[in-house]
Amino acid sequence: MPSNGESKCYFIQLQIDGYLDGDLSEAQQGVFMSHAQDCSACASEYRYAQTVQDAVMELPQIECGNLVLEPIHSLTAGGRQAKEDAQRGSLATQIAGLLNSVPLYFRYGMSAALVAVVAVAVSFSVVTPIEEPGQLVASESVEQYSPEDITLALQELNVAIDYLNQVSQRTEVMIGDRFLVTPLQDSINASFQRARIRENNPLNNGPI
Amino acid sequence: MRALYLQAIDQHRHRVLSFAHYSLRIREDAEDVTQEVFIKLWQHWQKIDHEKLGAWLMRVAHNSVIDHVRKQRPQQANLDHYAEVEDQVGEESDAAHLEQRHFKSQLQSAIKSLEDPFRSIVIMRDIQGMSYEEIQGSLELSASQVKVYLHRARRKLRENSKLRQLFEEQIADRSDVKQPIALVANNNKGNGHAQ
Repeated sequence: MPSNGESKCYFIQLQIDGYLDGDLSEAQQGVFMSHAQDCSACASEYRYAQTVQDAVMELPQIECGNLVLEPIHSLTAGGRQAKEDAQRGSLATQIAGLLNSVPLYFRYGMSAALVAVVAVAVSFSVVTPIEEPGQLVASESVEQYSPEDITLALQELNVAIDYLNQVSQRTEVMIGDRFLVTPLQDSINASFQRARIRENNPLNNGPI
Repeated sequence: MRALYLQAIDQHRHRVLSFAHYSLRIREDAEDVTQEVFIKLWQHWQKIDHEKLGAWLMRVAHNSVIDHVRKQRPQQANLDHYAEVEDQVGEESDAAHLEQRHFKSQLQSAIKSLEDPFRSIVIMRDIQGMSYEEIQGSLELSASQVKVYLHRARRKLRENSKLRQLFEEQIADRSDVKQPIALVANNNKGNGHAQ
């Protein structure tokens, strides 16, 4: 069992960092200093802590040269185009992640449903009659998008549609392969195998 | 937007590289982390709160460092390209200076060997002088956690046996140096009794 002296040293040494940071009250500082002056072990520990702390605080800030950031400048000099490419990439990645997480039939159905919705929306916009002047005024008060924003949105939509088409084609091939071709092949192979076995054991096929 | 972005880079680049450098101790990895941080800044520029940009950058840097440490091959984990700190000190061949350089080099290795978040807190607080609030924001810790972890981190640092050995060797060599607290001639470490 630790003696009172050892317990006190343990407690005092726990306060070393608080003392170095100036977090101790005046009374606590007094107790700390008084004990450290009487106890060589705690005094040594305090000096060690102070040396390490001073050395850490003297470690310099590392200078970041321009060469390190050259790739960043090249990336951002592309400006909006680079940002669009990054966003397009991230959008396709997000769609891919989302689609991979849902069941197969849902993916297949969802892609077909999305294409149908887009087709309806496009046909609706083509069929919609020309707005009357009153309606034109009302629509002008609604927030307007710049041609660049609309172009960007259409590009992103096209990317999404292309991706969904690819997924649906792959799904179709996968379904056909897994649920039709492969079972059929297995069945045919099994029949050939059985026929071969019967050929090798002709006596088993006799009436007796 | 690009002008503001470049201004933010100028303001924070040294701090981010320093943090990555002291965490990883491999210059190329530290530069990679720095580039990753600022690329993410460009990608998320519109979404982040620019009043807390410093804390956001340090949080991203912290997460990138953790990812790099995880990806590090085992043989690289022990690699320790002694920092340019030693080069900056100069070419002195004086024994005392060499001792000091050795101590600082060992100190940096000891910092790198600390677990997270202790390592990050020591770097942010003691090397970079970040405030407790900034550290809270960067590491997503409460105020009390930051202080407790900081003290714990410093104690872990002092437990590094090589560091302690170097210190004791220096003390033995410099026994005539004036100490802040009166020291008795014999070292009675461990008994806890007054002399």
